[in-house]
Amino acid sequence: MGKAMRPTIGETGGLVVTPSGGRADLPAAMPSTISLRTALGLARQTERAVPRAEAILASVLAVLTFGGLLVVWLAGGAEVDVPWAPTLDLRLAFALDGLGALYALLASGVGAVVFAYSIRYLPLHLRHMERPVRDGRSFYALLVLFMASMIGLATAQDLIVIFFCFDLTAVCSYFLIGFDRSEAEARWGALMALVVTGITAVLLLLAAVILYAQYGTFSVPELASRVQPGAGLTVAGILIAVAALAKSAQVPFHFWLRRAMVAPTPISAYLHSAAMVAAGVLVLGRLYPLLAPTDALRDGLVVAGFASALCGGALSLAEDRLKPILAYSTVAQYGYVVALYGLGGPAGATAAALYVLMHGVAKSALFLIAGAVTEATGGEDSLRRLGGLWRSMPILAAAGFVAVAAVAALPLTLGFFADELFFKAALARGPVPTLVAVVVAALTFVYMFRFWARLFLGPREADATPLPLGLVLPPVLLALVLLVGGLAVGPFEKLAEAAGAASLGAPAPAAAAYHLDLRATNLLALATFLLGGAGLWLEPRLSRTASALAALGGRIGPERLYAIGLRGLNRLSDRIHDIEVRDLRTRVAAVILPGAGLILLGALITPTDGRFRIGSVSLDDLGLVAGLMGVGAAALAATRPKEHLPLALTLSAAGFALAAVYALLGAPDVALVAVLVEITLSLVFIATLGRLPRGVLRREADLTLSRGRRVRDAFVGAAAGLSAFFVVWSITSAPSPRQPVAADLISRTDDAHAKDVVTAILADFRALDTLGEITVLAIALVGLATLFGPRQPA
Amino acid sequence: MTLITQTVARLLLAPLLVLAAAILVKGYTDVGDGFTAGILVAIGVLMQGVAFGHRQAERLLPVRVAYRLALGGLLLGVALAIAPLFAGDAIFTHRPLPGVSPVKLGTLELITPVLFDVGVFLLVLGTVVAGVHLFARPPQEDRS
Repeated sequence: MGKAMRPTIGETGGLVVTPSGGRADLPAAMPSTISLRTALGLARQTERAVPRAEAILASVLAVLTFGGLLVVWLAGGAEVDVPWAPTLDLRLAFALDGLGALYALLASGVGAVVFAYSIRYLPLHLRHMERPVRDGRSFYALLVLFMASMIGLATAQDLIVIFFCFDLTAVCSYFLIGFDRSEAEARWGALMALVVTGITAVLLLLAAVILYAQYGTFSVPELASRVQPGAGLTVAGILIAVAALAKSAQVPFHFWLRRAMVAPTPISAYLHSAAMVAAGVLVLGRLYPLLAPTDALRDGLVVAGFASALCGGALSLAEDRLKPILAYSTVAQYGYVVALYGLGGPAGATAAALYVLMHGVAKSALFLIAGAVTEATGGEDSLRRLGGLWRSMPILAAAGFVAVAAVAALPLTLGFFADELFFKAALARGPVPTLVAVVVAALTFVYMFRFWARLFLGPREADATPLPLGLVLPPVLLALVLLVGGLAVGPFEKLAEAAGAASLGAPAPAAAAYHLDLRATNLLALATFLLGGAGLWLEPRLSRTASALAALGGRIGPERLYAIGLRGLNRLSDRIHDIEVRDLRTRVAAVILPGAGLILLGALITPTDGRFRIGSVSLDDLGLVAGLMGVGAAALAATRPKEHLPLALTLSAAGFALAAVYALLGAPDVALVAVLVEITLSLVFIATLGRLPRGVLRREADLTLSRGRRVRDAFVGAAAGLSAFFVVWSITSAPSPRQPVAADLISRTDDAHAKDVVTAILADFRALDTLGEITVLAIALVGLATLFGPRQPA
Repeated sequence: MTLITQTVARLLLAPLLVLAAAILVKGYTDVGDGFTAGILVAIGVLMQGVAFGHRQAERLLPVRVAYRLALGGLLLGVALAIAPLFAGDAIFTHRPLPGVSPVKLGTLELITPVLFDVGVFLLVLGTVVAGVHLFARPPQEDRS
């Protein structure tokens, strides 16, 4: 997109397309006096666009959800347990315990702020993309669905429900990353996120089945009390961990998060920092009792977490664009959390919970600030071309500083306590984890302050137009939360302790506070700041090294593997498709001929005594015989027509004759369905033939086959017909006894208030199957609509 | 030929709809169910397409409406599946329960499985009509 064409927010808060766009809402009179608001860098709101109803609705819903969850949590939590399929021991079990409350409050709280931000942001975004404003509806619908699935995941106590919600977040994320569907990059990023997190999510289901096979329940609390260390638990634990690591964008799955940054900024701020990526570590926290008994798995989590923290940090230093910097820093921050679960113990579980809370708030604020900066500077998102922005947006600069300071764990922010607990957990494990923890924390310090300083300090690089309040207040609000947490950590600590206790199944006191003495955690924090300060001084050199490493990773890293794998899969699929399409009839023969051979073999080696009986034909069977002769005649006639339409009609004539036979055999339901399906198929044939170009049909009809082909086709046809004939003959010679299941169903028909057993089976006894079938039908319709429906204007 | 097709198509539409309604309502006591009724109505609509061109059929039941019918049918089915959960029963527990005699409207018994059958009916109708419309629509119209 041309930078010059990008509309920016004008002095009046209205939209100004500069300089060559089609529309320019120039203010009637330029403001002559500098008001306090302009001095603060805020736009005057004289021409505010009317916010869309769905935006307000979603925001209000999120605020109410947050409030409701808070009230319920403060009142002591809640539980819901509905056995929805008791015979399979499947239950809809939810509980608002500590862990559930923390993640649910985070999802709804950050959700509310992000939705509020979107009220102003989304119309601007849609205008940049030249899309109608009403496209925002699906945006909010998906966001609300996502919020619901996240809250469901946070509170779920049943492995199947957890898997369902886990996958639902991935589906929402797919559509939201690909929101700008006209952009190839957005589609690629959306697909990548879905493939990476969707395929690995299946591992979670696999783990659930393994655990069910071993312990006979899907319920997480029951499993927690039943599990014993062993091979089954280890395998299940590894599967769960891999699914969680992929979701939380940990090395080597981290690459999808970078590509997810093509999403609109609110999506990145919500899904890809505070919520969806948090789902991975949430699962680790929820299923901690299933992971903790395996020592090797805990060590593996420590290694994976620290590796992600180091890789994410290095990649963040190597990046130049705002959102990717934040994305890689997110990889690193969830690395902390994964490592904390691996370090374990009360300190580990509680610290992990507090860290997730702090990071979710801080990183969303930073994303919202990045989005606001990009808006204000007319689409600029490269650190190299930004700088000195504190003069034009001091409030955002201050909010950004607080958020950065929180992630870098400076005192007076919530982040300090998160790091205090982090060091405590590392110290409990030994000197090596402690050393790595300090290096990781110092690295965090460097890339966080690099981001902030390059953005707001230094010489002024780009002009910034003032921003509307709607884009400034939300990140400020989040930054205030971090400050409040830094001054009064009590409530946050309580929530984190409750979450830690839910993970451990035992109290997990944190005792976070400012201690003005030389205890080990304080010394480690001091060492981190010193090391981080030195790193900041050497930042250009560090960034260059990191860039070299990142370039190497790009050449041989997992993203490359993903691309190669996807291309290979595509090529394989194309090959199979080509083979299938090139000569379908040969493929049919490839199935029919071995089948006929097997049937022949079966007839030769099994006793045929009484298997092929010839019954008697009475006068009553006259109609039946006539019907069957009709079928035979139609089938023979179907070999004659050369044109497509007569061929289709002749085939359906055979179908009609067969339906008549069903009716005569006393199966009126089957006969009725057969007639209707035959008619529908004929209509589909006619419609399809109408769609094909006339010339193609003509050419195909005039095709003359070689003599060899004709002989071969006749041979295949005869083999198919004869084998089918003998199979049917053998079956009808020895009719199977009536199934007890059928007798049972027939006897229950009265209980179902029905007189027709077929309908009772479809709508009552096997209603779940029917629901599955009609769902497949609906999905088929979606496929048809996608393939044949009117194209979206590009 | 065209005249005969058109006359037959026009004459048959109303009887087809009546037949479908009868099958849908009587599905529980006689041959046929929501699926057959849905296909019947779809055939009635599509027959107009064969006789008068697909534009005429689209006027009778536009693709947009067909989508909504299908979606509505699916939602109705899902709603009937999960509604018993709120009463503490397993999914798809139909009312009235066995042994309880249903409320009657004339000779018609009001039971929830018939409602589920209506869901199947709507979905089948919507899917078949929309599917064939999508097939039949000439490609050049896609751009309009």
